Amino acid sequence: MRAEELKGHLDAVLLAALEGGPRHGYAVIEALRQSTGGRLDLPTGTIYPALRRLEQAGLIAGTWSVVGGRRRREYQLTPAGVRALSGRRAAWRDFSAIVTAALENAGLENTACPSPNPA
Amino acid sequence: MPESEPRLIRGYLEVLAAQLPGPIAEELADGLTETHRSYLTRGLSADAAAEAAAEEFGSAEEILAGFARVNPARRAARRLLGFGPVVGGCWAAALATSRAWPGPLPTRVALGLALVSCIGLLAVAALDRRYRVAFYSGVAGCVGFAALDASLIVGTLLVAGRTSWVTALAIAVSSGRIALCARAAVASQQNT
Repeated sequence: MRAEELKGHLDAVLLAALEGGPRHGYAVIEALRQSTGGRLDLPTGTIYPALRRLEQAGLIAGTWSVVGGRRRREYQLTPAGVRALSGRRAAWRDFSAIVTAALENAGLENTACPSPNPA
Repeated sequence: MPESEPRLIRGYLEVLAAQLPGPIAEELADGLTETHRSYLTRGLSADAAAEAAAEEFGSAEEILAGFARVNPARRAARRLLGFGPVVGGCWAAALATSRAWPGPLPTRVALGLALVSCIGLLAVAALDRRYRVAFYSGVAGCVGFAALDASLIVGTLLVAGRTSWVTALAIAVSSGRIALCARAAVASQQNT
């Protein structure tokens, strides 16, 4: 799945990747790859602005540490982020159930209720 | 990034560091180094790993555009520009009803020029995609508007003495903008 197909859901996906504990940017990407079996193909660099946006919104908090002589920024969910993730999950379940029903049952409806024969 | 790292990686990071604040560039350097390392551990040569890491990371333009969108100075500038007509309208009404124009003609011209400059700075912050340009323009615009509002408030109080409710409303709205400017400047500093 490409980044553009994920549009609108990137924030929820990033919050979910941080649910297990603090992670730095590359570890977030790795976690997403593992959880999706490698099917999520995001340009790694694009998640950093998204993490900043989530931080500005107060959904995650970043802290600096030093690893191997390099400064590293790790993020973790804030209580507001935990609530937001829970809300996004519930909304996604509703949304996917509705779309699945529409995609899979629409044909059955047509079969069950054929249009009236003009003759 | 150590000297031993491939030139491609160093060049890529130099492009980002030239445009972005230090802490953001450091974070990206860490991420790109980790990406490079992950390819090295898969058996690629240093140069091949560098190419693969740069490709996986995405183009520098893509990353810079992403950071331009989340620049707090940009958001603050757009908010202040949207709030501007409200403040301007209140002051126009206050000055027209009280006829207490702040100072002689040269002072008024200076205030007008300062206002236009502040609007220009915020417009640059709101529209420019270069992170640092937008950041410094936004902060300068915030400081300028805060100074302008403070001058208007002090000048009006000194000239008018007693204030009508229209003037009091203009002062309240201007004070609100000073608070907004201060918050925006602090948020911009914290998020870089």
